[in-house]
Amino acid sequence: MQPFTVLTAVAAPVDIAKLDTGMIVPGRFQRWPRRTGHNDYAQVFLHDLRFDASEKPRAEFVLNQPAYQQAGILVTGPDFGCGSSRESAAYATLDFGVRALIGASFGDVYRGNCMQNGVITIVLPQAVVSDLMAQLNATPGVTMTVDLPRQNVVAPNGTTHAFEIDATRKERLLKGLDDVGVTLQHLPQIEAFEAQYRIDMPWIKPLN
Amino acid sequence: MNPPLSLFDRVWARHVIVANPGGEELLFVDKNLVHEGGTFLAFDQMRSEDLKVRKPKQTLAVTDHYLPSTNRATAPASIANPEIRRVVEALDRNAREFGIEHYGVHHPRQGIIHVIGPELGWTQPGLLIACCDSHTATHGALGALPIAIGQSNQLRHVLATQTIWQKKPKTLRITIDGVLPAHVTAKDVILSIIARIGIGGAVGHAVEYAGSTIRAMSVEGRMTVCNMSIEAGARIGMIAPDDTTVNYLRGRPLAPTGADWDRALAYWRTLPSHAEARFDRELILNASELAPMVSWGTSPEDASPITSNVPDPNLIVDAEKRARVKRALDYMKLAPGTPLASIAIDRVFIGSCTNARMEDLRAAAAVVKGRKAVVPAMVVPGSTTVKHEAEKEGLDRIFLAAGFEWRDASCSMCGGSNGDSLAPGQRSASTTNRNFEGRQGPGALTHIMSPAMAAAAAVTGRLADVRSL
Ligand code: SF4
Repeated sequence: MQPFTVLTAVAAPVDIAKLDTGMIVPGRFQRWPRRTGHNDYAQVFLHDLRFDASEKPRAEFVLNQPAYQQAGILVTGPDFGCGSSRESAAYATLDFGVRALIGASFGDVYRGNCMQNGVITIVLPQAVVSDLMAQLNATPGVTMTVDLPRQNVVAPNGTTHAFEIDATRKERLLKGLDDVGVTLQHLPQIEAFEAQYRIDMPWIKPLN
Repeated sequence: MNPPLSLFDRVWARHVIVANPGGEELLFVDKNLVHEGGTFLAFDQMRSEDLKVRKPKQTLAVTDHYLPSTNRATAPASIANPEIRRVVEALDRNAREFGIEHYGVHHPRQGIIHVIGPELGWTQPGLLIACCDSHTATHGALGALPIAIGQSNQLRHVLATQTIWQKKPKTLRITIDGVLPAHVTAKDVILSIIARIGIGGAVGHAVEYAGSTIRAMSVEGRMTVCNMSIEAGARIGMIAPDDTTVNYLRGRPLAPTGADWDRALAYWRTLPSHAEARFDRELILNASELAPMVSWGTSPEDASPITSNVPDPNLIVDAEKRARVKRALDYMKLAPGTPLASIAIDRVFIGSCTNARMEDLRAAAAVVKGRKAVVPAMVVPGSTTVKHEAEKEGLDRIFLAAGFEWRDASCSMCGGSNGDSLAPGQRSASTTNRNFEGRQGPGALTHIMSPAMAAAAAVTGRLADVRSL
């Protein structure tokens, strides 16, 4: 996982409440492979909002507008990423190039999956989120900054908004440590456990 | 003195490596099961990170969800849908590349992941078994601790570390005592439990099923009960190992042998819950009051004895529940008050990890014998081993003579991943575990029940009380 420290990027307003994981990755893309180094899921991210039935980009959708082509931050409506637990939703977000989401609330599972993949989800009060949206709409393509070490978001107008994040999560994002990385820090304990376990329970044989 | 532990507490404690301050514990995973479902994403990510499977011999890969239930000999080349074919081929490639044993399309032991684990003796009491599937609790029927995990992040974690972080759930003991009336089966027991406590009734709990009714059940019946723990909201369902478990496991291909067997046996004997073990919750059921059940709605809790009627939502006091039931009946195209035993069906599916083992097929065959299916009906054995055993016993001939289709082992019409699905508006009698909207295909109307009840539906063309045949 890529570490997350300070990100300054174009921010796009996605002002849709309860945009669920089925909209982030429609069910029919659930069987898409994700090849090394191809960002395959970029294409399916919010697919049906971005494209019509004949695969033509919907010009009116925010991410299709020229100002937002390089968006790396999304300011989202409440409950973004609610719904089914499909983990592909986080992959799609990352592959599309989004590293930070700012909203009043997020689907729990989606939020956890994003953090696992180095995408930070930031919860701010709805009034602040609405204000950020208004600023983005006033100047399409403007950038914002997410500063994880300082735990704040810098709005287009320069105002900073502090956010809360669990200390463990923060550290993992800063170091680029996902669950596997964290667990492997316990490798000596794991190996000691296994060695004793094999002595105590000799009949439990791995597959031969 | 040691505290009086429950089966679950004991097996859990045996697998704790470390605890973190947040209350999660790092558990050692004895064995891990992988199916082809969405798991290619975990492997894809591991490949991109250059991660290895830490203990490849502790994982078994099985293809079941997407395999065709017909023309198996020519699969996967003959799988018409290229996406499905790609998923099937991906597991084969991933298993090979990551050094994992794979029971794939043509493996003689292939079958539904939760059927073959126990059947091979791979599933054993006291093991912690991870599997990226909601019905992992099936393995708890032998006294293993089943942990259902996600198909990408969590699976990747298990593969890369052979461990899993979990927060210990609370415990719920469900005790069923007494003798089951004739034709009332394990499926009716678990459907009755879910109807009683609701689909969220056991959320956050590890369930232990206990009592004389459970003790009298075969391991196969116990698997049916544990299988549907998730439909009651519980991710873990377990039953203490006893002589029935031991006799079931003895001689199975992957069960311990010789001195190992004796040591294993001695350990298994220590596992059952202490008489004074404490549970956070208790529920007690009387077996003699149970009847054959069928579902009428779109949640497994929407099930009633076959002798009753479709409920009237207007009589439900709770507004939220009333609205849900109303919606369920609209979807199911059922009028309140309709006798359940008068509902005509279009198809019958006997299969799935809930009810596709020998005992299930025998029960269905006993009803079907000498009768004819009056609607299209199919039997999909839970494993290739079950299929062969059933053929040795002549069950296939009974089904075929009655006009049933006799297919190859896969999940098939349980979830329809392989393309075996109902047409919109078709109504099925199914031995599966889920009757959610669209579970067997978009617009499909599913009634879940036991194998004998599904067989009775096949020969009558309606939901029918097997006791009245
Ligand atoms: S038979 Fe059904 S419930 Fe069981 S593993 Fe297959 S799809 Fe899931």
